[in-house]
Amino acid sequence: MTPTSSDPYDEQVAITAGVVLAGGQSSRMGTPKAALEWHGSTLLRRTAGILARVTNGPVVVVRAPGQDLPRLPEGTLITDDPREGKGPVQGIAAGLAALRGRADIAFISSTDMPFLHPAFARRVLRVLETSETTDVALPLARGFRQPLAAAYRVSLAEAAERLVAEDRLRPAFLFGQCTVETLDDATLKQDPVLGALDPDLDSVLNVNTPADYQAARARPAPEVTVQLFGTLAKAGGQSGPHAVRAATVGDAAGALGLLLDRHVTAALNGDQITRDSETPLATGDTVFFLSADAGG
Amino acid sequence: MTAGGYFGQALIVDAGTGTSAALPLPDEILRAYIGGSGLGAWLLTELGTPGAGALDATAPLAFVFSPLVGTPLTTSAKFAVVAKSPLTGMLTDALASSQFAIAGKLTGHDAIVIRGRATELSVLLVDGGQTRLLPARHLATMTAAETDAKLRDDLGRGWRVAAIGPAGERGVRYATISHDGRHAGRGGLGAVMGAKNLKAIAVRSAVKVATADPASVLRAARDLRERSFGPATAKYRELGTLANLLAFNAIAALPTRNFQAASFDGADRLAQQETVEGMRRVARSSCASCTIGCEHIYRVGRGKKARVEYENVFALGPMCGVSDPDAVLSASARCDELGIDTISAGGTIAWAMECAQRGLIDAPWLRFGDPAALLRVLDEIGTRGTPLGVLLGEGSRQASRTVGGDSASFAPHVKGLEMPGYEPRTLHAMALGLAVNARGADHNRSGAYEADLSGDLDRLGGGDAHVVAAIETEDRAAIMDSLILCKFLRGVFTDPFAEWAALLASVTGWDVTDSELRATARRIVLAKRVYNIREGWQPADDWLPDRLLNEPLTLPSGRVAALTAERLRAMIDAYYQKRGLDPAGRPLPGIADEGLAVGHG
Repeated sequence: MTPTSSDPYDEQVAITAGVVLAGGQSSRMGTPKAALEWHGSTLLRRTAGILARVTNGPVVVVRAPGQDLPRLPEGTLITDDPREGKGPVQGIAAGLAALRGRADIAFISSTDMPFLHPAFARRVLRVLETSETTDVALPLARGFRQPLAAAYRVSLAEAAERLVAEDRLRPAFLFGQCTVETLDDATLKQDPVLGALDPDLDSVLNVNTPADYQAARARPAPEVTVQLFGTLAKAGGQSGPHAVRAATVGDAAGALGLLLDRHVTAALNGDQITRDSETPLATGDTVFFLSADAGG
Repeated sequence: MTAGGYFGQALIVDAGTGTSAALPLPDEILRAYIGGSGLGAWLLTELGTPGAGALDATAPLAFVFSPLVGTPLTTSAKFAVVAKSPLTGMLTDALASSQFAIAGKLTGHDAIVIRGRATELSVLLVDGGQTRLLPARHLATMTAAETDAKLRDDLGRGWRVAAIGPAGERGVRYATISHDGRHAGRGGLGAVMGAKNLKAIAVRSAVKVATADPASVLRAARDLRERSFGPATAKYRELGTLANLLAFNAIAALPTRNFQAASFDGADRLAQQETVEGMRRVARSSCASCTIGCEHIYRVGRGKKARVEYENVFALGPMCGVSDPDAVLSASARCDELGIDTISAGGTIAWAMECAQRGLIDAPWLRFGDPAALLRVLDEIGTRGTPLGVLLGEGSRQASRTVGGDSASFAPHVKGLEMPGYEPRTLHAMALGLAVNARGADHNRSGAYEADLSGDLDRLGGGDAHVVAAIETEDRAAIMDSLILCKFLRGVFTDPFAEWAALLASVTGWDVTDSELRATARRIVLAKRVYNIREGWQPADDWLPDRLLNEPLTLPSGRVAALTAERLRAMIDAYYQKRGLDPAGRPLPGIADEGLAVGHG
């Protein structure tokens, strides 16, 4: 597949990106959902961070004009939804339009799914990564179609914009104009990683009311594994693995009495290295804490 | 008047006759290149015959000191050995720390440069300004440590010795020069010394060196000493660089089985608790004038000891697929005895193991993971005792040319220098640093892995930020390697160029500033490139082995780590542009003249 990007550093592979729709009315919640506290972070920060983990392109946050946003991971793109209140298709159109020339495929998410697991997004994205003809990978999970936990080709931006111009604002209109592959519960759970780490597909649970939020917030944080290396292991007496409950890298560090600073970094699942304590964790993650003064 | 910290002269020795003469070093040259690695690049350019072979009699071999040597500043007892590398055909500069640095400088010279060839195996004595040769047939085939002990015994108090082992005498192209048990390790400087028929050089101090502001130097020394006990050096002090092994394994940055993988299933065994902390570790030690104490010494077999650091364990362990800690410690000790660079030895052997695996070399016994095979082939290399040993003594680049087939595509070198233990596919800033560095695949002149491991950029997505980081670490290294200060101190400086400028000012009396030092760093990096171009560097030399560009890795997270040729090309192009080079990597018109110009008015 040919990349659409002109960035000389990009690889010759499909480029995936994330879109988070943060601009909704939050009328039943009574307060903007994007800024809701989540284990020392925020719902939006968490969602953007989860998508950053599973994509190799940018993450775009679509907001209402002038909407205040909580702190976001470095490199997050922000785009204004030019016509607030037009619903999800308008948000989808704005997010995909912002990714023109930057990515081929996007996982689009609402901001209010605190249990969205990276394995869920990965499974859904894989449909488009491995198909030349499918335009949308649409989960039909826990009894509902999930247009805001789905993967879209960026090339659908124009069709979505046209629908908005015609005031045809339901996602079904968009799906009627392209090739959609639906993923039901059974199909999703067949993915061994997703089946093991999110067996009930809590990934698509969203919080709409204060009661939803309180119930979700009362759940225990994800169970993750932590290992320490170098001088950290020596100082702590053990290198692990330690099982801890933590929703962020900072929480996982705190559980072992560590503070992410100039001398301590975290590698998530042996992959990205970070000092951002709000980097979100999900069930099954492994966090390695390293001495930042590596080398020699 | 000569600036503080300097004598304003180099000693030029003819190894054919044992005679010598002083070469004045003008203040503007010292200020432009400082010392160590920087001054060495200038001396090599000035004194080397363009195009002459690294092992020719005329080739200069420079022991270069620095303005900080002899001061109480921690880690300052260091010197650079600089020559044309017989492994790369380009500049190599290896740094080492010991009392040799202090005694060598206090002969009254900022550098000792040796040219010519002795008629028989000899020892060069430098006693102040006096030089002479002693016959050394009785020292032939001795280890460097034995030679050191014997000479100091024979010569008496006050002498410090740098010597080569049997591999240097026999021209192994990655032989080292050793002193106080430490090595000027990379690039084959031991072979250059061996080609001059010099088994050793012994130096004795004769004079003292003055600093411009002794009180200020002492204050700075106290301050630096305090800071050297802090968290930035804890890893080196408490664990040594071996602490990298498990961490790099966890993040898929540990080159394994000749870069066929980036994590090693035997890493835990190799780093097992009793190896690292328990019975085998017998001592911790420091270089001369150092308060960090990064050296962790282990017991190997009967009465033998080995210094253990990450690079030798990586090269002789995971790189060769060997997980037996005893075998790796023994191999490391054997490299010390033979006087060969552990990184080039491990890299070349790992390449040969893969050749044997593929049937390109007829040595079915040479298998990945076989401790006995590792020790056997090391001996064959060090003694050049078999056709295989002779072949592998040439290094992986030359050996791959001899073996042919597709063996060059997996020969683990840049410019002929074997790769250190940093996986470029998962450390993209380091990938660039390794590709463009003047010395070849090298982690000391380019420490760009720091940026990859900092959490400040995506280590799998090389781009402009990685280019900027690689240039910054290269510039910082150019100054630290010229002052010289140990890089294990680098984390204690919060405003490094300004702090280094203040140190240099208090020693020399110059009104040197951070911006001047930044220009000096660029000059030193450029000078090495200009020297290499003169000696035949081609654009294709700034590149990485094909394997690293064509064989992606899959991380435990499922993410694919691919360093494509396109990405590397884009990073190199950006590096050239930011360095003032043309698209082929040569200085743009005027840049060389401006960049290398001296004078600080």
